[in-house]
Amino acid sequence: MSERGRVFAPGRLPAMTRQFRLILILLGLAIASLTTAGQALAHAALTKTVPADGAVVSSAPGEFSLSFSEPVSPLVLNLIGPDGTSRPLTRFTLSDRTLTIAAPSDLANGTHVLSWRVVSEDGHPVGGSVLFSVGAPSAAQPAPIVQTDPAVRIALWLGKLGLYLGLAFGIGGAAFIVWVAPLPATARRPIAGFLALGLLSVPVALAAQGLDALALPLSGALQAAVWQAATTSSFGRTVLIAALALLVALIALAQPNRSGRMLAILAWLGTGAALAASGHASAAEPQFLTRPAVFLHAVGMAGWAGALLPLAFALRPPDGAQALQRFSRRIPVLLLVILLSGAALAIVQVQHPQALLTTPYGLVLTGKLTLVTALIGLGAFNRYRLTEAVVSGRASARRLLVRIIAAEIAIIVAILAVAALWRFTPPPRAIAAAMAQPASVHIHTNKAMADISLTPGRAGPVTITVSLLDGEFGPLAAKELRLALSRPEAGIEPIERQATKQADGSWQIGDLTLPVAGRWTVELEILVSDFEMIRLKETVEIRP
Amino acid sequence: MKSLSLAALVAAFAAGPAFAHVTLETQQAAVGSTYKAVLRVPHGCKGAATTKVRVRIPEGVIAVKPMPKPGWTLETTKGKYEKAYDYYGTPTAEGVTEVSWSGGKLLDEHYDEFVLRAYLTSDLKPETTLYVPIVQECEGGAVERWIEIPAAGKSADDYKFPAPGVKLLPKK
Repeated sequence: MSERGRVFAPGRLPAMTRQFRLILILLGLAIASLTTAGQALAHAALTKTVPADGAVVSSAPGEFSLSFSEPVSPLVLNLIGPDGTSRPLTRFTLSDRTLTIAAPSDLANGTHVLSWRVVSEDGHPVGGSVLFSVGAPSAAQPAPIVQTDPAVRIALWLGKLGLYLGLAFGIGGAAFIVWVAPLPATARRPIAGFLALGLLSVPVALAAQGLDALALPLSGALQAAVWQAATTSSFGRTVLIAALALLVALIALAQPNRSGRMLAILAWLGTGAALAASGHASAAEPQFLTRPAVFLHAVGMAGWAGALLPLAFALRPPDGAQALQRFSRRIPVLLLVILLSGAALAIVQVQHPQALLTTPYGLVLTGKLTLVTALIGLGAFNRYRLTEAVVSGRASARRLLVRIIAAEIAIIVAILAVAALWRFTPPPRAIAAAMAQPASVHIHTNKAMADISLTPGRAGPVTITVSLLDGEFGPLAAKELRLALSRPEAGIEPIERQATKQADGSWQIGDLTLPVAGRWTVELEILVSDFEMIRLKETVEIRP
Repeated sequence: MKSLSLAALVAAFAAGPAFAHVTLETQQAAVGSTYKAVLRVPHGCKGAATTKVRVRIPEGVIAVKPMPKPGWTLETTKGKYEKAYDYYGTPTAEGVTEVSWSGGKLLDEHYDEFVLRAYLTSDLKPETTLYVPIVQECEGGAVERWIEIPAAGKSADDYKFPAPGVKLLPKK
C-alpha cells in the first residue's frame, strides 16, 4: 500500500479543492521518496584500475585510471608513498565512467596506495584504495631502537661487568686448585678481592635490571617494584646463582683442604649455571644446544681467565714451574671447549656472516673475537716459546711471562667489558623474531568470532590469517571471506582483498603491503550462506 | 501555483536517484495483508549482464506466488517455516522459501522487474522494516549479493550490500 493511497483517500478530505489536493499529493510523494531514498541509492562500483590493484610495475606510471560501473565525480584522491607520506592528487580528467589521474613525476620505488573517494550520480560517496608497487613491494623498515635512561644503561653494564669479573677472576681463581695446582698464598687476597667485587655488583646488577624493565630512571632504584621485577626476571636467576657461587668460592678460598676443593668445583660449575640461566644466547633455540653451550663456554672461560692470576703469583717461588707445566698441558682442552661452544652460539645467534659487521650484536661479537684472537696469540707464544725457558729456570723468560700474563688479564677484562655490551644489542635472531611478531585482533559478537593475525605486525608486506568461529565457539563454515583494511586518519580508504580458504579451515590473504604504521581498521565480510552475510569490524595496531 | 512547482521540484529531485541496486517498488505495506513485491533490477554486476535473480523469502512471509516471466525459468524452493502461521484461518507451516528466475539475459544497460505476491502474516512486527535478501548472478560468474540486513540503529545506507526492504505498517 502506498502512502498516497492510504493517507490521501478522497473520501477523507471532502472539503479540499482539487488543486490543493494535487499539491498535497505531490508533497506526499516527495516526502515518501525522501524517506525511502536511502533504499534506492546507487553504489558506484569500481570495475577496473590501471595499475591493477596489487600490481608490481617495472617503471613509475605517468597516470592512473579508475573505471566505475556508473559515472562518478572525485571527492578526494590521495597518494600515499612508500615512506608513508600522503599527498593529494588534483590533476584528473573524467570521461564517461573513467577517471584518469595525472601521476606525480617523482614516484619512488616501493609500494604506493592510491586512495580514492568519489561520489556517484545519486550523491552517495564510495571509497577504496588501490595498492601498486614500483619496482618491487616495499620491504619492512628496520626496527626502531628503544632508548633507556643512559645512567641506567651504564649501571646495567657496570653491574654485569662486575659480575663477570667476579665469576672469571674470583671463582675461576678459586678453581685453580681444582685443575692446576694448590693456590699460592699470595694469590688468595686478589682472588678474594674479585669475589667481593662480584658480590658487590649483585645489587647494582639487580637494581639496573629492574629499572630497565620498568623503564624508570636511576632515582627509582629504591622502589620495591624495581627489585621485584629484577628478581622475577630470568636475569634475576642468573644474579642469584652467581651470588651463591661467589659465596661458595669465598668459603672454598678459606679452606685449602679436600672440602675446599669440592666447594671450588661447585662454585666453578655455578659460573656456567648462572650464565646459562638467562640471556640472549641461553634463550635461543635449540635449547638442548644453547644452554649446555653457554654453560661450557662460561666454565671454560672462568677456568682459563681465573688461572692466570694464580699462575703469575706461582711463578715467583721456585716450584712455580710445576704449576706452569700442568697449566700448559691442560689448557688446550679448555680452549677447545670455549671455542667450540662459542662457535655454536655464534652460528645460532648471528645466522648470516654479514650480520657480524651490519648489526650491533655482530659488531660486539667481532670486537670480542678480535680480542680473543690476540689473547690466543699471546697464549700460544707463552706456551710454545716461553714455557720451556721458564721451566728450565731462565729468569728473564719468567719476568717476560709474568708481564705477558698481566697483559692477558687486561685483554680478558676488555673481552668481558665488550661481552657485557650484549645486554644492549639484541642478536639478529631476536631482532628477526621480534620483527616477525604478528599483530592480532580478536572480534567476538553473538553471531561470529574472528581471530585475525597480521604477520609480521609491521608496516610492509604482511600475510593475514583469519580463523572463524560462530558465536558459541562452534565451527563457522563460511562460503567466502572478504577483508578490508583502512586507515581513515592517514587518508587511506579501504584496501579490499578476497581471502582464500586453507586446508586447515582458516582463511589467508598473502598479497598485501601495508604502507604505514598506526591503528588500522579491519573489516570482515563473512558470507555464511548465499543469503547471509556477517560484518565484523575492529581496529589493530600496526608497528612501524 | 508557486508552491506546486516547488513541490514538484522537490519530488523530482528526491525521486531522481537512479535505482542502482535491487530495490522493491512498493516500500510500505501493512501486516496481515497481501503484498505485491516488484523487484527492480537496475543494472548488472559491475557491467556484466544479469542471468539469474534469487530471492530469499523472509520468515513470516507466506503464500508466495511468483509471477512467471517470458524468457526466464521460474523455480521455487519449498521448506518448513519456523512455526505455523495463520493464513485466513488456515495454519500454514511450510511453503516457498526461495524463488529464482534464471536463464534470461538482462544487459547492464537495460532495466527489468521481477514480481511475486505474498502474504505478510500478522506475526510480523509493524513499524519495522522487513528485509528481502536478493542474490543477483551475472555472466562470467559475477555475483552481487544484496543481502545485508542493517543492525538495530543502523540504516541501509551504512552497508555496502543492503537488502531491499519494505516498511511494515500496523494491520488495517
